[in-house]
Amino acid sequence: MINRFFLKLALLPESAYQKIGVNTHQLKAILSVKLLMDDRRPASIQYAQKKKTSKPVSGATWGTIIASAFLGLIFIFAFYVTDHSFTQFTIYFSFYIFILAATLITDFTSVLIDIRDNYIILPKPVSDQTVLLSRLLHIAIHCTKVILPLTLSGLITVGIKYGLIATLALFFLFLPATLFTIFLINAVYVLVLKLTTPEKFKNFIASFQIIFSIGIYASYQLVPRLMGSAFLDRYTIPKNLSSLLIPPCWFAGAWQFLTSPSGDLYFISAFIISIIMPILSILIVIKYFAPSFNRKLAMISGSEQITIIKKSKKSYRPHAWVYRLASWVTKTRVEKAGFLQTWFITGRSRDFKMRIYPGFGYLVVFLFLSVFRTKKSHYTNIDLNNTGSIILILSLIYFISFAIIQVLSQLSFSDKYKASWIYYTTPITTPGELISGSVKAAICKFYLPMALVISLVGVIFIGPSIIPNLLLGMSNQLLISFVIAYIGYREFPFSDIESTKRKGTTFIRGLVSMLIPFLLAYVHFLIFKFTVPILILLALSIIANWLIAGSIAQRSWKYFTINYRED
Amino acid sequence: MANPIISLKQVYKNYGHKEVLKGINLDIQSGQVIGYIGPNGAGKSTTVKILCGLISDYDGSVHVNGIDLKENPIAVKKMIGYVPELAELYDVLTPLEFLGLMANLYEIDEIVANERIHKMMQAFGLSDNMNQRMDTFSKGMKQKVLISSGLLHNPEIIILDEPLSGLDANSVIIVKELISKLAKEGKTIFYCSHMMDVVEKVSDRIILINNGEVLADGSFHELQSQQGNNSLEKIFAQLTAQETLSDTADQLIKAFDN
Repeated sequence: MINRFFLKLALLPESAYQKIGVNTHQLKAILSVKLLMDDRRPASIQYAQKKKTSKPVSGATWGTIIASAFLGLIFIFAFYVTDHSFTQFTIYFSFYIFILAATLITDFTSVLIDIRDNYIILPKPVSDQTVLLSRLLHIAIHCTKVILPLTLSGLITVGIKYGLIATLALFFLFLPATLFTIFLINAVYVLVLKLTTPEKFKNFIASFQIIFSIGIYASYQLVPRLMGSAFLDRYTIPKNLSSLLIPPCWFAGAWQFLTSPSGDLYFISAFIISIIMPILSILIVIKYFAPSFNRKLAMISGSEQITIIKKSKKSYRPHAWVYRLASWVTKTRVEKAGFLQTWFITGRSRDFKMRIYPGFGYLVVFLFLSVFRTKKSHYTNIDLNNTGSIILILSLIYFISFAIIQVLSQLSFSDKYKASWIYYTTPITTPGELISGSVKAAICKFYLPMALVISLVGVIFIGPSIIPNLLLGMSNQLLISFVIAYIGYREFPFSDIESTKRKGTTFIRGLVSMLIPFLLAYVHFLIFKFTVPILILLALSIIANWLIAGSIAQRSWKYFTINYRED
Repeated sequence: MANPIISLKQVYKNYGHKEVLKGINLDIQSGQVIGYIGPNGAGKSTTVKILCGLISDYDGSVHVNGIDLKENPIAVKKMIGYVPELAELYDVLTPLEFLGLMANLYEIDEIVANERIHKMMQAFGLSDNMNQRMDTFSKGMKQKVLISSGLLHNPEIIILDEPLSGLDANSVIIVKELISKLAKEGKTIFYCSHMMDVVEKVSDRIILINNGEVLADGSFHELQSQQGNNSLEKIFAQLTAQETLSDTADQLIKAFDN
């Protein structure tokens, strides 16, 4: 519905299009299909936050709009941290440019540069002008869908604080700011494509999405804190030559000039730069970037086979130590198979990393903030008699298990779940061994390094007196991992597609998985200062580890789905 | 006749209300090359999946070498090598890692397995690619890895589901040769395919199924004597198409009549 409105709007200057040799029938056909496809594709903003569902997406346009509006809310904080309006607008435009670039950079690959065009549109009798215009209009419509809701809250805030003219000035300045952002995105794209191969390029986009979503999360957490901080209150951005090199300052200066025109040289030059630079940069894009860009894009799409064969590819020589580790920690061949498979796939699958690293990022941000907070309230040295320090130490230790839970909860999923036929056609007597091997790999890969680092930090900062507590803590992390695996890891490794169907049970399992670490941490907290109970509990924890790990490995076929999942 | 190596008796399988297999009866002798053909949705894949252990909730009985598949699936799986249709595999692994995984799951002696893997990769011309991730491989290269994975434990029975898809002309010849050499070694081969000309050439016995039932069963010559001296392609069309195929083509041409 909303797309039809955009389509009408885009096609208004029909006769002008025809004059430059565009076939408007074809243009309309291409555009309407593109918009229809956009509507059925999950938006990048949502993708970064929500997990994939098997349900077909429709009405994604509204999703994009709502998500953008939410993002826009983050950065109206700019108007409340300081009273200095130039600083306010510099912060606001910085956020605007960053968020817009981040949103579009992911969309550009999936939505705007559709390589299928090469097969579908190019072989048809469609003129170059038509294709070009359809692309431009598509980009424009897409940007509008993101930008309007993104800026809405800012416009309203400025309207309330500074009045109508200020709002109009801001609205006008979004145009050059957007053009400049598009230039930035193009520059990044060209740079990345110059430096790497198309395959790596996809990896780059994927890691970018992860960083982006972590950044959003961090700013949601940080922004309210910053609002109260005295530091920003006093800080103003200086009006000097060096700040004129920062793009957001151009637009902030231009806004100052537009709302209250004066002879201020700084604001005048900012205004001029803010108009000239975007135009200049877009010209650069069209003249210099676009041709090499298209050539590179053709490489991503068309001749992929050829480039791949020709390229000398990275070799993954078997790491002897991984195999040695596998033989060392596993008992049977099937367990070893599970170990090696999990070890290799977790390190390489982009899909897996996409699902795991945002969670890790959130945890790190969360941990950082909580450490930050405790440190502020107890600004004494860490000592074992202080409740605050004990909580800090324990939360550091028990933080590991949240990271492990993240990993374990994802191990049975893969976008290559169809490859799980291998578990059904091979003579596996006790499939539990496969799970146990897989869990062991996750523990060796994710738990051990973290446990080692935190233990080292603990011993260095607190001294050997912390060792019994560290041992109990680490053993408990292991126990939590095994218990979670015992409860939740019920499918073969990488054999299932993420779906929303079994939400009910997974929710309860998720709840339990959160409760176990808290419970253990609480018990640990109660006995923290008493060495004997700690040693007893440590012994119990080790025995429990051994028992549960063993019972995972003994799981028989009746615990597993008997049929191979094909769809 | 000797005891059949594969025996299906009254095998039924439903997906919900849809009956995919309606009582399949088959006895296959050791050392035969079976061409298993049928249109899409005929129940070909379902039969294969039951035999390999991918589907275990079927009705009826399946015996392999006298062992009931439902009672002792592990023993049956040890005898069977399966090469699936379409390259479904964990393609972030390298061929060496993937085949190593399979060797672990079949519990083949590590030294033996390693030697076999290297020899097979070399024979398929993939020696240089052994340590590269398979996500950069062409369909044919993946198919070669899959064929190797199915043969790795030197099984008595080999089930091939469209093994030629994606292979180039020379590799097709290699695989056809391989099939007849394996048959000479006394292996039983269950070959599922759409490619009638290949089935016609490699199979000792052709089984045609449609709508979950066996329509024709016999050597190519037997089928020819029943159905007229035609190519397998023509026989297939006679037995499975509702209308004659040239009528369909006529209708397609008539679409231009406006």
